[in-house]
Amino acid sequence: MSEIDFSDPKTIAFLTEVLTAAGVDGLEISSASGKLRIVVSGGENHVSQAARASSKPAVINAPMAGIFQLRDSASADLPHSVAAADVLGFLRVGHVLVPLKAGHSGVLSRRLIEPGTLVGFGDALFEIEAQS
Amino acid sequence: MIEILETGPFNTVQDLGRPGYRDIGVSASGAMDSLAVRIGNSLVGNDEGAAALEIQTFPFRLRFTERTGFAIAGTDGNPVLDGIELPAWCAFTAEAGQILELRQPPKLARAYVCVAGGVDVPSVMGSRSTSLRGGFGGYAGRPLVKGDQIIAGAASTNIPLPASGLAVVEPSIVLQDVFPSSPDGTLLIRALPAGEHGLFADDGKAFWDQTWRISSRSDRTGYRLSGDAIVPTETVEMRSHGVVPGVIQVPPGGEPIVQMSDANTAGGYPKIAGVIECDLWRLGQARIGSRVQFVRSSHAEARAVEKAVERYIADLRQTIPMVKRALKAMA
Amino acid sequence: MIATVHTHMQPLTIIPVVKDHARISAIGSRSFLLEAPGEFDLPAQRRIWALSQTLKGWTDLVEIIPGMTNLLAIFKQTPEDPAEVIDRLSEAWDAARSIDLAGKTIEIPVHYGGQYATDLPALCDLSGLADREVVRIHHEAIYRVFALGSAPGFGYLHGLDPRIYMPRKTVPSLKMEKGCVTIGGMQTGVAMLTGPNGWNSIGFADLQMFDPQSLTPAMMAPGDIVRFLPARIEL
Repeated sequence: MSEIDFSDPKTIAFLTEVLTAAGVDGLEISSASGKLRIVVSGGENHVSQAARASSKPAVINAPMAGIFQLRDSASADLPHSVAAADVLGFLRVGHVLVPLKAGHSGVLSRRLIEPGTLVGFGDALFEIEAQS
Repeated sequence: MIEILETGPFNTVQDLGRPGYRDIGVSASGAMDSLAVRIGNSLVGNDEGAAALEIQTFPFRLRFTERTGFAIAGTDGNPVLDGIELPAWCAFTAEAGQILELRQPPKLARAYVCVAGGVDVPSVMGSRSTSLRGGFGGYAGRPLVKGDQIIAGAASTNIPLPASGLAVVEPSIVLQDVFPSSPDGTLLIRALPAGEHGLFADDGKAFWDQTWRISSRSDRTGYRLSGDAIVPTETVEMRSHGVVPGVIQVPPGGEPIVQMSDANTAGGYPKIAGVIECDLWRLGQARIGSRVQFVRSSHAEARAVEKAVERYIADLRQTIPMVKRALKAMA
Repeated sequence: MIATVHTHMQPLTIIPVVKDHARISAIGSRSFLLEAPGEFDLPAQRRIWALSQTLKGWTDLVEIIPGMTNLLAIFKQTPEDPAEVIDRLSEAWDAARSIDLAGKTIEIPVHYGGQYATDLPALCDLSGLADREVVRIHHEAIYRVFALGSAPGFGYLHGLDPRIYMPRKTVPSLKMEKGCVTIGGMQTGVAMLTGPNGWNSIGFADLQMFDPQSLTPAMMAPGDIVRFLPARIEL
């Protein structure tokens, strides 16, 4: 495995999310190639994103930062109906996958992010419309 | 607690085995796919070597009588929790009363059920693995049967599983560069020539060149291989010596036997080759009737593969708690 | 990969300098089998015991399995340089001096003949001896536990009289009872498990010789002296 590249924007974005989650104000990393300083400006904006959930259709948000991927090729076809316990996709962090559960039953109508994209905490990933 | 509702024969409690007693004739036993056990345990926050259920006959169903974190590893089939299909290589929290079902995997042979805290059976000679031959260890020294009640150990104090569950990118994908595959699906297993390889003369070449079929007379003790018989050019009077899983012996009939997890500790048949240890878990997932070809390897290659596997596990054991902490903080 | 001085072997990748022909071969990538040259006898086994003692000090080993005039060394990891391992094992063998293990004496009452002695008639045919003679020769000898293996607590016993050597079966008995007193080639021992067994049974011993719950699970240990007592002879 390669060394962590602290100049990679994705790495910085990920670290920022983790720091935010951990309630840490900032981080300074020194290495041979230079110095990285991340200052977290407070978590209010994340809270406001997460609070939108009651609107219709239901939106599935990223629970943390990671690379968005679908569960399998079959789940790429939209729209299709889903059950609340269904796993729609994953956020990948290294070799670890965080399952994205539908949480609501209904019709999975939209995917808001391209698979393979690095997403941040709270980013909207899917929309599920209540079945009428 | 976990109650077994339905099971086929020869499903047992296994951990990473009972090494250190082969000098008194005790097989190491342990999971056929040890990598799956290490990964499953890592997902639920256990030590890598906590005891798990090794399921090799299906369908298998169990009921969680209390809220329990569990992981399913090894299998390419999807576990089913209360009728909902879950991804493989995934850990979830089951609620009290939920029923987990494991069906015959599409291609592979074995599934492992790991539970937070590990399967709590008495440790015998340093291991919780079932010794089927010896009749000790595991759950009362025998395979699981319907109605068995299994206790999970006290879960570690570290971070609980996230509500969403947690999964891993499975080893056959992450490590595809270090594990060979063949276009026709024949399992390629690497091995080194062993002590009596030279006795087989041209049949030595035939051993490597042909595709063997794993015969129905195969189990955790060993796989019998069907194919064109290979015979040594002379009969040797062997003195019994220690053997390890992966040794490929050739009994008088000429059809090789690969010793597996419940390998005898000693043997006296001529041995043509020995599977490199880091390929054993792949052989442990090979089904009866499937095809396998042996590929000549080297210590250098084996060492490189071993290192890649260890890096993968070390990476998982570092990333899993980090992700759990991040999710807990954001929840 | 095989290192040996035997000329019938394959072209070698590694040929160590070996003074007295100990043969070293690989089983998989982490285990190495050292086979003592020469006769199947106590002097060779005593050097194996000495080698075993030496190897207990090697921190890169996870397990040492002494066999019948041979020893399997299992490493924790695949060694970086197998040639170095072979050299190291060869040197340890060369330096190994004969030691004797201070063993205890174990007396095992045997019911010779009877329903469990399924192979006694065949042994009589093979040896040309009367059954009474076979039994006498077997119980009069003094045996030494050379090594344990194969089944939990099973002791390979050396000291069998060559007149009653009997090759292992080509087709093993499918279900031989635990406790059968057996002969396999020039070795003898008491079956520890009921199951398939290629050795030849001439009697039965009802003795608990393995207890997994005990601190010393196996009753026998290398170096022990074993005597078979004819508790009953049923011919």
